Amino acid sequence: MKKGLIFIISAILLIGTLAGCSGEESVQAEKTKDGKVIVDFWSFWGSETRRPIIEKIIEDFNNSQDEVFVKHTYLPWGDIWTKNLASVAAGNPADVIINDINSVAQRAENAQSEDLSKYIDESFKNQFYPHLWETVMYGDKPYAVPFNTDTRLLFYNKDAFKEAGLDPEKPPATWAELEEYAAKLDIKDGDRYERVGFYPLWGSIGAASWMTSADGGKGFIQDGELYINTPKKQEALQWLLGWKERLGEKTVQSFEAEFGSEQSNPFIAGKVAMWVDIGTFYTQIRDYGEDMNFGVAPIPAFEKGSGNWSDGGGFVAEIPKGAKHPEEAMKFIKYLAGPEAQKYWAMKNYDNVANKEAAEAVVNELKGDDKYVYEASVKNLDQTQLFPVPVKYPDYQNRINPHIDSVLLGKTKPEKALAKAEKDVEKLKRK
Amino acid sequence: MIQRLLAGERVLRKKEKTSRRRMSRQTRENIFGYLFISPWIIGFLGLTLGPLLFSLFASFTDYNITSRMNFIGLDNFKRMFTIDDLFKTSLWNTLYYVLFSVPLTTAGAIFLSVLLNQKVRGMKFFRTLYYLPAILSGVAVYFLWMQLLSPSTGLVNTFLAWIGIEGPAWLFDPEWTKPALLLMKMWSVGGGMLLYLASLQGVSASLYEAADLDGAGVMQKFFYITLPMISPIIFFDVLTSTIGAFQIFQEAYVMTENGSGGPGNSLLFYNLHMWNNAFEVFDMGYASAMAWLLFIVVMVLTIINMKLGKKWVHYEGEIINENCRSTEVL
Repeated sequence: MKKGLIFIISAILLIGTLAGCSGEESVQAEKTKDGKVIVDFWSFWGSETRRPIIEKIIEDFNNSQDEVFVKHTYLPWGDIWTKNLASVAAGNPADVIINDINSVAQRAENAQSEDLSKYIDESFKNQFYPHLWETVMYGDKPYAVPFNTDTRLLFYNKDAFKEAGLDPEKPPATWAELEEYAAKLDIKDGDRYERVGFYPLWGSIGAASWMTSADGGKGFIQDGELYINTPKKQEALQWLLGWKERLGEKTVQSFEAEFGSEQSNPFIAGKVAMWVDIGTFYTQIRDYGEDMNFGVAPIPAFEKGSGNWSDGGGFVAEIPKGAKHPEEAMKFIKYLAGPEAQKYWAMKNYDNVANKEAAEAVVNELKGDDKYVYEASVKNLDQTQLFPVPVKYPDYQNRINPHIDSVLLGKTKPEKALAKAEKDVEKLKRK
Repeated sequence: MIQRLLAGERVLRKKEKTSRRRMSRQTRENIFGYLFISPWIIGFLGLTLGPLLFSLFASFTDYNITSRMNFIGLDNFKRMFTIDDLFKTSLWNTLYYVLFSVPLTTAGAIFLSVLLNQKVRGMKFFRTLYYLPAILSGVAVYFLWMQLLSPSTGLVNTFLAWIGIEGPAWLFDPEWTKPALLLMKMWSVGGGMLLYLASLQGVSASLYEAADLDGAGVMQKFFYITLPMISPIIFFDVLTSTIGAFQIFQEAYVMTENGSGGPGNSLLFYNLHMWNNAFEVFDMGYASAMAWLLFIVVMVLTIINMKLGKKWVHYEGEIINENCRSTEVL
């Protein structure tokens, strides 16, 4: 009798374990009690600032609907992509996911996201900045909808400018001016720097951006052609090396080691006078800068008239391949990328949203510093480029970076390093 | 007569019945046995052996998880040696790390355990103190070390400045990133130390007494008694830490910017490069091939280790045998 009982229990346990693998649960959860279709939405916006904003947007959408109900699932940054991939492979993905803007084509090519062309018409497409819309296209079809983007600006400390005898209303416009101003803004105590005027590789910008800027806005790969080892890019690299030599390896390393955010950000702490960062960096200055007197300007141009290029990134909303409710999912995406939700998101985050109408409406509604920085960032979008990862060169950045590092460490000459980088990337090309 | 026969048959039948019942009980026990271990068997087949074989197969394909799985023969392996320069970098970084970390941590652990094996007051306190770092968990420790190794405000360089040495930039200088990691590893040799401590306590005091009578010094006792006696543990420690060192990943992933592998790829370890291929570029076929190559490398090294081990590892039983032989000669 006892043994019979054990047998039954173990059999139940076993069946229970096996049943855990089946998709029973998700079948159950597809509709709410009042018959609305549940759309599973994955984002990584779980922080104290962002979560309430996205949840308010979802709530507004849900309240306006009698057919669709959006359920938000927060997944940590990084985890969200691998989980999405695994769930696509398993045939049970979310209905909508927030993903990286620069790799939309990669996912389309690898059959990880749905073609959205049948849900999208010309008037919908025209709501977005064209340079963002380009990133979601793969083989003439859209595979995502842009959500937000960013752009880089030069933040400068006006008090430091006054102190150094510079006009606080006249930020540097060219690389030459940048160097000149930076030298004036440096404060040294013997060999030690108390304040560094500027260093081009600090903040939210890297060597690649300066190289692109010198090269008339031409990235490393354009229309399938490689432009890695160009004279202008070599020149830019040499220029970057010059900055490092001026400050000295030690100063650069010791400053970098102490970079943090908020109060310990060196620009906010007054240890660096000019700093390149994205528009939302402003909120850190506002919250931790104690009435810091600052200005923003476009990133200085290589030379007069060569363009104040900036690069941008951002996120898109997309439907993973094999999602169960693409139609309902698209309804939500249209709301998410529509003027109302985008405006709310921008007002709360000062984030550059993808919807033009929303972005412009926000400029008109903000006041004071909020308006000043946001307007500058929206204006800067005209000169902002995105560099979507080409399908044929999925890992090209990792091949170029070590060579750039080696130049900045003084181990290789720019021309040699870039020639090698170009060769490495060539080898990587996918057929 | 007939009655007797019938009775006999009855006994036989009874016997047969019980044996049949016994048989069925046996089978039933077997069934229960299998049932009870079935979660493990299913787990092993489904979650370990299955993926293992699958990755072996995937290593010969261009598998990308979602759309491709074409058989491409040995292309992935060819790519490692002919196209992928980062493969060489990562292999070199890993070998460097294994080559230095294994001897250093082993020697460090032995040294510490010998120190902590002395009969001094308050030894328990010190033993706990030195073991503590070994129980602290990964990521938090790495963050702690990032603070300690900070070039101008970190404790390590501050201490070095006291004694008149200008410390390097550690994690920011490609020449110093790997030494920085080794330094960090040395801090947590407590785990190995505990093993050695236990084996040191097992070394018979009579051996030392005999050595004392023969007039052996401290160093002689250490090299001719202590080391040989704990050599099986050293062997075990070297073997497991070599395997562990080849798999270094977390440290570099956490302590370098965006898990990039540090300045100039100086901390791009084999597993980090493999992880990048698998989960950044989703080149699962190539990553699988890398995993299997690592498996082969580690297996070959382990076999070499085992063969070499026979030369220097002394098991107590063998020593006795040698003694027997020597008495025979006498």
